[in-house]
Amino acid sequence: MAAASLPRRGGQWALLALALGFIALFLLAPLVAVFVEALSQGIAAYGAALIEPDALAAIKLTLLVAGVSVPLNVVFGLAASWAIAKFDFPGKSLLVTLIDLPFSVSPVVAGLIYVLLFGAQGWLGPWLEANNVQIIFAVPGIVLATTFITFPFVARELIPLMTEQGRDDEEAAISLGANGWQTFRKVTLPNVRWALLYGVLLCNARAMGEFGAVSVVSGHIRGKTNTMPLHVEILYNEYNFAAAFAVASLLALLALATLALKSLLEWRYGVHGKASS
Amino acid sequence: MSLKLANIAKRFGAFTALHDISLRARPGEFLALLGPSGSGKTTLLRIIAGLEAPERGTVYYEGEDITHLSVAERRIGFVFQQYALFKHMTVAENVAFGLSVRRRERPARRAIKRRAQELLDLVQLGGLGKRLPAQLSGGQQQRVALARALAVDPQLLLLDEPFGALDAKVRKELRHWLREFHDQVGLTSIFVTHDQEEALEVADRVVVMSNGAIEQVGTPSEVYDNPVNAFVFDFVGESNCVPVIAADGHAVFRGRILDVETAGLRGAGALYFRPHDVRLGAAAELGLPATVAAVRRREGRIRVEAGIVGLPGPIELDLLPDGAPSPGEAITIMPTNARLFPVATIHEAAA
Repeated sequence: MAAASLPRRGGQWALLALALGFIALFLLAPLVAVFVEALSQGIAAYGAALIEPDALAAIKLTLLVAGVSVPLNVVFGLAASWAIAKFDFPGKSLLVTLIDLPFSVSPVVAGLIYVLLFGAQGWLGPWLEANNVQIIFAVPGIVLATTFITFPFVARELIPLMTEQGRDDEEAAISLGANGWQTFRKVTLPNVRWALLYGVLLCNARAMGEFGAVSVVSGHIRGKTNTMPLHVEILYNEYNFAAAFAVASLLALLALATLALKSLLEWRYGVHGKASS
Repeated sequence: MSLKLANIAKRFGAFTALHDISLRARPGEFLALLGPSGSGKTTLLRIIAGLEAPERGTVYYEGEDITHLSVAERRIGFVFQQYALFKHMTVAENVAFGLSVRRRERPARRAIKRRAQELLDLVQLGGLGKRLPAQLSGGQQQRVALARALAVDPQLLLLDEPFGALDAKVRKELRHWLREFHDQVGLTSIFVTHDQEEALEVADRVVVMSNGAIEQVGTPSEVYDNPVNAFVFDFVGESNCVPVIAADGHAVFRGRILDVETAGLRGAGALYFRPHDVRLGAAAELGLPATVAAVRRREGRIRVEAGIVGLPGPIELDLLPDGAPSPGEAITIMPTNARLFPVATIHEAAA
């Protein structure tokens, strides 16, 4: 028996080693490198790089952008999935396709669309200027671009689950006299809460980490319109490696925390296995 | 309470789900909507509930037009096929839901709790209020769904395939239980089923539907013993069908004159009879000549499958165990209670 299973076991080990080697080389090594580089000039330099005013401004802006775009996408995502999963209306499949648009469009193009719309030379540019509203190269543009890029995360988590759950629960609630809001709050929302949390987590990670679209609309004004990823790029281009990696390490920590929470959710509630209950 | 449907029609895109349905339910009656899938029975139930709007026609409760009232305004209890219990709420919370979402005249929290407990006692699940639905068996979940529907004090109870998701034994038990329960509570109830045995056993009257139309309405005995057409004969209970030519008060099958009532029918017809409405005749008698293909033991009876020359499928007979033929034997089948329908009806039913 041992002899028969030995060759298979050998193959198993080879595959495992290959997979682990790949992960170590492409995922673990960069992660370690980020922290090694970040701390290469000592913990004091690391701390200084983070509390320097421009870095603080970038962190604040990133939190602000995520703080606005994530709640917006929770509302949009819930509304869209609720409409798609629980109602029939003309143009439904078009809406489903549109939700995926931010995933299929390059983030740079997404950013350019906003420049084209709201920029000084854009369609709405003259009107915005006349009314003294600045969107491009300012915080509103960054929020808009981030919201666009991260729109699918919540909706994509919810639509398959809500569709699978069907309409029976809602119809039961309505037949028992619940109104639309009560049905949503007491029946639909609890049925999807873990998938929603999962979507929020992914949405948040992307909102904080988004580079392409934000880079186009931000204008890179230090201390004003730089988010953390943009700040990292600037520091790096200035050969200020330790500081660049110090800020990057924060983003890496965010990624790790997101992964940990995601695993916890999956383990605890089986978000993707059985229907969340 | 009384329910009246007048000329209800419904289409889904190009598909006509209901043609022109008119129906009455008397107060306290237990009505079954019986039909194959796609016959429109569930659509009709959902229109009665207000979960679906009819394209034409009117729904009356107690003589009052309620076609445009919402589900909530109709005071109905609806029990879903898959129960649709709220998974994250306890059994007691599920039952209390209808009362706790009331905005006007909501009872005090304690009164709601008491009512929920009463209803759980009523469906014999008094001790399970703290459990989650997933911790109950299918039959128990079904009864929770029933208790929940009753919490809003409905005048009409609607059940969509109430036994559909249960295994055979539980089905039978729950069937009896539901019938007794209906009599005890005194509601008007309507349930949808595709199982003729269930409809015959539980209902006061059976509404047989096919292709979005009502074929027959009657007591279980009426639809079983006096089906108005071939479809009803075939769908309500087991049946055999033999093509015949009717002329001069006789039915003729391949040159043999059969002793059946033709009711004035002339031309091509279909002779229907139930497996137990036969006897075996002597070789000289005028019956259907057949060869026994298989003999199977059944509870109290013998099921005989016999082939008749010129028929594609076997004829099924239910005979008493003594005197049953053996495979290969030549027999003469004498239908003792047969019905002759013109052939056009068969095509309609098959369509």
